[in-house]
Amino acid sequence: MDKLPQPPLANVAERYSRQVRFPAIGAAGQARISASRVAVIGCGALGSAAVDLLARAGVGEIVIVDRDFVEISNLQRQVLFDEADAAAQIPKAVAAANAVGRINSQVKAQPLIADATSSNIEEILTGAQVVIDGTDNFETRYLINDACVKLGLPWVYGGVIGASGMAMAILPGETPCLRCIYPEGQAAGVLATCETAGVIGAIVSLVAAVQWAEAVKILIGDHQHLGRGLATFDLWTNDYLLATGFPRLADCPCCAQHRFDYLEARHTSQTTTLCGRNAVQVSPGHPLRLDLAELGRRLASAGAVSISPYLVRLGVDGHEITVFADGRAIVKGTADLGTARSLYARYVGV
Amino acid sequence: MHLTVKLFATYREGRFEIADLEHPDGSTVGSLLDALAIPRAELGFVLVQGRHVELDTPLAANTTVSIFPKVGGG
Repeated sequence: MDKLPQPPLANVAERYSRQVRFPAIGAAGQARISASRVAVIGCGALGSAAVDLLARAGVGEIVIVDRDFVEISNLQRQVLFDEADAAAQIPKAVAAANAVGRINSQVKAQPLIADATSSNIEEILTGAQVVIDGTDNFETRYLINDACVKLGLPWVYGGVIGASGMAMAILPGETPCLRCIYPEGQAAGVLATCETAGVIGAIVSLVAAVQWAEAVKILIGDHQHLGRGLATFDLWTNDYLLATGFPRLADCPCCAQHRFDYLEARHTSQTTTLCGRNAVQVSPGHPLRLDLAELGRRLASAGAVSISPYLVRLGVDGHEITVFADGRAIVKGTADLGTARSLYARYVGV
Repeated sequence: MHLTVKLFATYREGRFEIADLEHPDGSTVGSLLDALAIPRAELGFVLVQGRHVELDTPLAANTTVSIFPKVGGG
């Protein structure tokens, strides 16, 4: 079969010509975009939509951090992934980096299969000019907020549920931080999740688009056009509202007092329920590098085991335990933290 | 006093999207949340006429109050 002619990938000027013709970006803005590094923490729905836009825009380097693997139920809204990724249960960070390579080979995608924790978040963010929130939980968002305020690094919050979503750029020292907006930490088991309330793909696209636009304005130094508030949307009832008037709290523990409760905890919770899934993540709470092949051999006597270069999966007692090389496990078939901890201790060991 | 109240995201379940309500004169934002049985643990923020207000802020008649839960999915 004849090969199709290859497009002129080296022609950078042509590739970004429409974006460059947009006056607010221009050639100078494109140069800054191409020289920039963006960290995307969490690569599910919001994260993958943001990575897609960042890659197409020609961001120089994208750090993609995610702890999970692709499943069929992700495909309705997680735009970087396809059926082959789900069938092979590829880690999302790797699948996303692979997709970036197909979309724009000039972009350097750096996948990291990991949970963002107090132990690694500052290292992950080092060298980034802006951070995009692709997480599905507030514990990690507060952690990002702590790290970004400490490092003086802008980040863009985003959240979705049902047909609703919101987004806001946070510029440490200039605008309210996440703890100015939501001073109290979030208790586990209280908020609706994608599993209980559902989520539609279109709100993901909308919120990620706002996150991308705010991030690019930051990258090119156009702070004048950043949204001065929290942009909120409901696609089903057509409510679009810019929430304004949030003050920087004079006693904010994070951005005023520089007390970084989430960052200095030095360990995040050992167990986390996963948004949209009857599943719990169990984390060892300390740096770990498992020999997955050895673990797979050890678990083979306990139940059905499958092994890939990235993970070991064990089906046992009506549960499915997926263990990653950093020692984390996702326990499917339960939302009970104690059950998950027990299964982890029993099969993975603590 | 007369208020227009808009609820967002999961707060709509079992309640309403938008409603015109009567609420006692001189009452606060917090009292409106109590009247609507809005659980504080999920509360994101409250806006009056699009601007953020604290729970102890007195409500003014003929205003629009928008109540948002924390939105945490992603």
